[in-house]
Amino acid sequence: MNMHRRFSRSLVLLGFSISLLARAQGPPQSGGDFSSNPHPSVLPSNVILVKGAWSSASDSVTPLPEGGRVANNAYSNQYFGLTYSLSQDWTEKYSGPPPSDSGYYVLAQIRSADTFMGTSRGSILIAAQDLFFTLTPAGNALELINYDKESLNRDYKVEQPPTLVTIANHSFVRFDYGSPVAELHWHVLATQIRCHMVQFVFTSRDTKLVESLVEEMGKMTLPAEAGPISGRGGGEVPVCIKDYARDENVLERVDPIFAERRFNPVPVRIIIDKQGKVKHIHFLSAFPDQAKAIADALSQWRFRRCLRDGEPVEVETGIMFGRAPRPATLRSTNAATE
Amino acid sequence: MKTIKLASALAFLMALFFPGMAFAQTDPGVRSNTGVNAGQPYASVSANANDLAFYQAGFAQFNEHQTVTGDNPGLGPRFNLDSCGACHSQPAPGGTSPAAGVFPNVGPNPQSQVIAKGVVIGSTNTIPFFVQPNGPVREARFPFFFDRFGNPNPNAPNGGVEDLFTVSGRADAVSCNLQQPSFNAAGATRNMIFRIPTPVFGAGLIENIDDSTLLANQAAQAVFNRVGISGTFNHNGNDGTISRFGWKAQNKSLMIFAGEAYNVEMGISNELFTQDRPLPGEDQLGSGLPANCLNLAGVGYPEDITHSGGTSASTVTSDTALFSVFMKFLDQPTPSTTSPGGATSIANGRRLFSAVGCAICHTPSLTTQASNLTSDLSKATANLFSDIEIHHMGVGLADNVSQGGAGGDQFRTAPLWGLGQRIFFLHDGRTTDLLAAIEAHQSSGSEATAVEEFFDLLSPSQKQDLLNFLRSL
Repeated sequence: MNMHRRFSRSLVLLGFSISLLARAQGPPQSGGDFSSNPHPSVLPSNVILVKGAWSSASDSVTPLPEGGRVANNAYSNQYFGLTYSLSQDWTEKYSGPPPSDSGYYVLAQIRSADTFMGTSRGSILIAAQDLFFTLTPAGNALELINYDKESLNRDYKVEQPPTLVTIANHSFVRFDYGSPVAELHWHVLATQIRCHMVQFVFTSRDTKLVESLVEEMGKMTLPAEAGPISGRGGGEVPVCIKDYARDENVLERVDPIFAERRFNPVPVRIIIDKQGKVKHIHFLSAFPDQAKAIADALSQWRFRRCLRDGEPVEVETGIMFGRAPRPATLRSTNAATE
Repeated sequence: MKTIKLASALAFLMALFFPGMAFAQTDPGVRSNTGVNAGQPYASVSANANDLAFYQAGFAQFNEHQTVTGDNPGLGPRFNLDSCGACHSQPAPGGTSPAAGVFPNVGPNPQSQVIAKGVVIGSTNTIPFFVQPNGPVREARFPFFFDRFGNPNPNAPNGGVEDLFTVSGRADAVSCNLQQPSFNAAGATRNMIFRIPTPVFGAGLIENIDDSTLLANQAAQAVFNRVGISGTFNHNGNDGTISRFGWKAQNKSLMIFAGEAYNVEMGISNELFTQDRPLPGEDQLGSGLPANCLNLAGVGYPEDITHSGGTSASTVTSDTALFSVFMKFLDQPTPSTTSPGGATSIANGRRLFSAVGCAICHTPSLTTQASNLTSDLSKATANLFSDIEIHHMGVGLADNVSQGGAGGDQFRTAPLWGLGQRIFFLHDGRTTDLLAAIEAHQSSGSEATAVEEFFDLLSPSQKQDLLNFLRSL
């Protein structure tokens, strides 16, 4: 019995010594940089798990500009109130990046499908530029396209200067240019909806293909406000007013308290309800801690009610947090006018 | 015989009637017929004896092999290699990852040779599976920490460098006994990404571009049809100015870049990073490096210092500052106007590069501000082919590592100068084929997808011109 006890004690001591030795030899074998699990979980591939400044919103119900989808041979976007039909030869292979901190959106990137049987291929880019945050001094879609034309470098040739056209019973500005060296043609059609320039860019070597795509735009549906200058909301959506959050309209303001010093621009679109309270916040590009701090602050803001024809209306406006807004300095000449 | 004749006739007819099909574009490969076109100091540096002495001292330090103790002390206890110049060597010191058998035949991946050369001891270290003699020099990072059960934990971002080797087993490491990180487990769980060395030719020019120039360039690109592109800048956390070095533009200056690399890649503490560096997990576990792995050089900390007993400017200066001087004074690469493909093809390719939109991000040149260092850095044209912005590059390239303001899918526009004599492409060196590198620019979430599609719309001969242009840089 005694011998058995001594043997057991020796075993315990031996085990303890081995464990001490193992500790002295290096860090533990799990956690940190060391793993010895024979059946570990595997991370998914092709997923962005660590995001930097990204888009988010205060609720998941209110439509967002980036919320459009290509499905059933059509691109539809509830925020912009548009539907654009595609032929079966066109598909979206890759979705776009998140909205940028200067208010640029890639809404859809559509290309000739692998089954496309035509002689020339092409691509369709549907993009938007939030006119509250654009780095150019354009006040509307028409001015923005005119700036595009003015800034065209010598690699390109203007094929049709910015011109007003009617598509699907709405006014668009159309601008065609090409690259002689690349033998590519770009036809740009833009309108304005909710203070965004919404842009369709058709690209191909074949002008007939591009022209046919422009013609097919006639089947699209758009909100009544759409137009190169006129798209300023209203009706079933809030009116959009640049710089509505200026001093004379803000009755109560609380600045966000950021826990960490960052230096990125944080563009935010808000919808103010008829009582002057912030109803919805869309962070175009913000780190989660920034979004939280801004949301906490904006919930305390009170705005002067906006009246149209004597009636209060909802207002959509933009506020740039973080870095100070950049001043616009450029001017365009020889511009098309509406 | 009849069959051969028939095949030849068919090939001739195909080439005659379907030239596009008969001529597929290919990467011309590393440019080898123009000599080594990088790795020299600026003329204004060579013309000034003091500046040249500094440059030469920096060059020597850059290529020196460090040891744990002795004349060049401080290596380890964890490190990726023992010399700056061993990793940054293609096609000349200051460049990027070499390979054996590719011009100018610098040699095999030096990380694959560390046991053979006695830098590490084979009984205590293994060469990780992703380090191959013909592959790129690699730095490994685990995007996430493992939990205590050995699973990568997506709620615990890591992203720090996991040094490949330890000094354990070396005679001068005495009793320091460290294990290498679990590279096999990390690979099996997809919890590992790689980075290759960024070339530093012309880095002094990049450092000397004022923020206002970068901001003006960003605004100028925004005016024109952006075709999906809209980048931003990474910022230095201390003063808020634009940072610019590293794959995610996370480092502000070359001095910081040098100090961090000396500490992280070679394990040498210095006046910017003053302690020996444990693995991210060693810090996370609250243990740090064990006491018997500290001060292995026996000189105290920091291991690299400014030498008050020096007898000249270059002998007073710390290694870190000399690395910085070397990089600042290293001229930008010289492109070829004729090779590969001839002058016409290269000129055409350059115009195509701009026409399809590559130049929106890969800005061909930017002008530096006045320099207090040397005249060739002053008001100079940096032909860098980068806007120094960070861009979303999509799920195909995302590495899920955040650095400063850059998220897991954002990368600095890689400067393309010197590309003609690079072997490995993209941040992780995943390909040696320039065409594959271009194609990798498109994936869901990438700003470059539309531009890559425009490239796809070019004819094979146009694509070849563009590839020739890139390999002329």
